[in-house]
Amino acid sequence: MGIVNFSLEGKVALVTGGSRGIGQASALAFAEAGADVVVSSRKLPDLETVAEEIRSRGRKSLAIAAHIAKIEESQNLVEKVTAEFGRIDILMNNAGTNPYFGPIIDAEEWAWDVTTNVNLKGPFLLSQLVARVMRQQGGGSIINTASVGGLRPGGQQGIYSVTKAALIMLTRVMAREWGQYNIRVNAIAPGVIKTRLSEALWKEAAAGEAATTRTALGRLGETRDIAGAVLYLASDASSYVTGDTIVIDGGVV
Amino acid sequence: MRLKDKVAIVTGAGSIRPGMGNGKATAILFAREGARVVAADIRLEAAEETAEIIKREGGEATAVQVDVTKEAGAKELVETTISRYGSLDILFNNVGGAYGGTSLKVTVEEWDATMDLNLKSVLLVCKYAVPEMIKSGGGAIVNNSSMAAYHSHGVYAYSASKAGVIALTRCLAAGLAKENIRVNCVAPGLMDTPLVAPIMTEKRIRRVEERVPLRRHGKAEETAYTVLFLASPEASYITGQTIPVDGGLSAQ
Repeated sequence: MGIVNFSLEGKVALVTGGSRGIGQASALAFAEAGADVVVSSRKLPDLETVAEEIRSRGRKSLAIAAHIAKIEESQNLVEKVTAEFGRIDILMNNAGTNPYFGPIIDAEEWAWDVTTNVNLKGPFLLSQLVARVMRQQGGGSIINTASVGGLRPGGQQGIYSVTKAALIMLTRVMAREWGQYNIRVNAIAPGVIKTRLSEALWKEAAAGEAATTRTALGRLGETRDIAGAVLYLASDASSYVTGDTIVIDGGVV
Repeated sequence: MRLKDKVAIVTGAGSIRPGMGNGKATAILFAREGARVVAADIRLEAAEETAEIIKREGGEATAVQVDVTKEAGAKELVETTISRYGSLDILFNNVGGAYGGTSLKVTVEEWDATMDLNLKSVLLVCKYAVPEMIKSGGGAIVNNSSMAAYHSHGVYAYSASKAGVIALTRCLAAGLAKENIRVNCVAPGLMDTPLVAPIMTEKRIRRVEERVPLRRHGKAEETAYTVLFLASPEASYITGQTIPVDGGLSAQ
């Protein structure tokens, strides 16, 4: 059997939104599986800590600040990674935002613009740039962090849900078009995972209890619950899987 | 090793013809990851061949001849597993196939036989495996469906039975989560496995190269790795799901 496990030995990974939560856990999982990992987010300080953690696992790492919805910053990011490592095998589009929590009937235009820019335009621009590198080198794996909100509308987070649904479709569109370059594109759709971004959904006791009750497994997710799926999608273990969205929600069935 | 000291049952663990099928590849992979594997098949020599490969690699396996479309067979399979290894943690319900009879030309016998093989077998093995998993404090079940569950397929009984497997997966996932048992599904697309060898024509290969985004058939090992992922602790928060292993066919 020709597949060498879930190993990422010799591979280079780029993770956006890599300073905390799901991005941080995934970056560390990639490093543990043998990859060199570049982490990016808008602000540098927290990012340097993650890069240090990666280096302490014996892998190379870079921390690069970038706002990926700005094309020149995305370009700069990809140039820096390829200049340093010569390739990009794995891209995890994990940077996301949810700045407005409330009914969409009251949402203002800025909330729409900010959310679509970061959650949708950013992954589109960066994937396009990275896919050109991957096409040249003979393939790669792209993983988009969507959300169960992209499959069922989340209460108080309508715009966020719309962007994540669009990201799931973008995943399929890219998978369809880029399969011929041996670039696989998949998404994860986490349920309520205990991170800072999702605090509004679990931090208050009543909300946390309600969210927990909805899961068949009877608990909220942790970032380590996500890292395993991301590693599977990044590695050759999923070599015939593309265009798929893996729901990681503890079984809201 | 992801499955160290775990006990796993794989049904349909032998290959119907020479080569590597989904069940055989998964049984071998489970063993490489440290599991003790019960390789079950309706043909003893097929089960033994898989078990022999595992043993040659230094793994632990037992070949069992069983018809899991019969309740007595399912019961016996689980009993044999427990008497041999003492517990049960993982079950891959892989057995499946199609009995001729396209469209409405299917006979009642063919319809029933397909439903028994692809769907009833899942229920029956779970019926006896689950109480043992509960005794072990939990477990993971992976069922083998097919992309035929979503797309129309000439053999109606095959599509319908595989769609049934997905529905049953969700029912089992909801019902068994409180017992710490996760239940998920793989849905292979167009694969190059011994099961489809007789229809693997030049024309089919060309069609796959045109239609599938990854431009090739899938391999049994690629199903096996997805099953391994779902059976392992790395999928600890995933239950009730179906992962297509289809080279992007369904993304279109």
